[in-house]
Amino acid sequence: MDGVHDMGGMHGFGPVVEPGGELAYHERWEPRVFAIQMLVGLEGLGAGPGGRPVREGMDPAHYLAASYYERWLYSAEQRLLRKGTIAPGEVEGAIERLDAGESVPGHQDAAMAERIVAHLRSVYPMDTPPADARFGPGQRVRVKRMHPAGHTRCPRYVRGADGVVECVRGAEGLPDRAVYGEQVAPEPVYSVAFRSLDLWGPSEETSWTVLLDLWDSYLEPA
Amino acid sequence: MTHDHDHHHPRPASAVELRARALEALLAERGLVSTDAIDAVVELYEQDVGPQNGAKVVARAWADERYRERLLTAANEAIAELGFAGAEGDNMVVVANAPAVHNVIVCTLCSCYPWPVLGLPPSWYKSSPYRARVVAEPRAVLREFGLELSDEVEVRVWDSSAEVRYLVLPLRPPETEDWSEEELAAIVTRDCMIGTAVPIAREAAIA
Repeated sequence: MDGVHDMGGMHGFGPVVEPGGELAYHERWEPRVFAIQMLVGLEGLGAGPGGRPVREGMDPAHYLAASYYERWLYSAEQRLLRKGTIAPGEVEGAIERLDAGESVPGHQDAAMAERIVAHLRSVYPMDTPPADARFGPGQRVRVKRMHPAGHTRCPRYVRGADGVVECVRGAEGLPDRAVYGEQVAPEPVYSVAFRSLDLWGPSEETSWTVLLDLWDSYLEPA
Repeated sequence: MTHDHDHHHPRPASAVELRARALEALLAERGLVSTDAIDAVVELYEQDVGPQNGAKVVARAWADERYRERLLTAANEAIAELGFAGAEGDNMVVVANAPAVHNVIVCTLCSCYPWPVLGLPPSWYKSSPYRARVVAEPRAVLREFGLELSDEVEVRVWDSSAEVRYLVLPLRPPETEDWSEEELAAIVTRDCMIGTAVPIAREAAIA
């Protein structure tokens, strides 16, 4: 989806280094929302595409104004609504109750705590790369021109550009389809190196290299 | 924990904070999400999983040439040797700085980051300016962090567009030749492993 989340190369955002930028979060609710989003996934409380495509679908002005974990809150809530775990208006109702001073007791479930920690300590690597991958190290490739309305991992700034395959990272189903629940066969994912000149044209800076991991479907021979 | 929070900070809750608390309350009330599970996740990333893990990996690689080779060829396994593994570390790749190569990591589309070795990302890493600029003017961004690289050095920017998560293996400062792994780990900051800083030997001497 060609939304405001696809930020590579955009101008006008100002400096990177700002006061407070060192911290992972600034308020206590933020890591709790992070945890809730993780639990919504693990406990099967949400439905529809994962949190990321939902955040990408936010109203662009809201996306840009929202803090990182505010976006996570949005995606957790949307996924819960889609599954019917919560109904429209229920969060607003709970806000009113909290605002009125009602205290809501916590809920204890030690087994759930163990499950989520075990999950967060586990790894799920990609499949090993197929022997018959279409491209190999050193080969020139071109990123396809595209304009997908849905989720994609092919940022705008590399489309149409030529690069060189560094290696095959592994194999995985194309996220553009997999996030919507489609069963897709694993395909090679390549590490592709781009010269800055090929992405941005001439620059005041000494040339550099940008490397991305791109699915086979995004590429064609150069 | 959420409820204690209010007593320490009497300022009124923002709309988003109230919404977050309301969602947690709603899910807890129905027994769908447990308070102790949320606490456990928060504690995991505040206490066990953070850049101190990555620093140990870097220090080991500096101290042990064979470990370094394993780290650069099969990072998941090498990192797991030190007991670190988990979500957002499913496909780790470690990229080594060299006298003529400097690596820096980003995720322009989202804010993907190698949690098992670096913990949760700093706010600047998730910010629009970093995601927008580091692929398009890396030297200007690094200069903001106080890192000036010679024109001879090739900057390699790794945009984490798929499921691979990157960790930068910085150059070992030459003055650290006889340092212990523990002393070495103390100079490896989070930013050194993202690539927006380089380790400086004198910081450990002070610590």
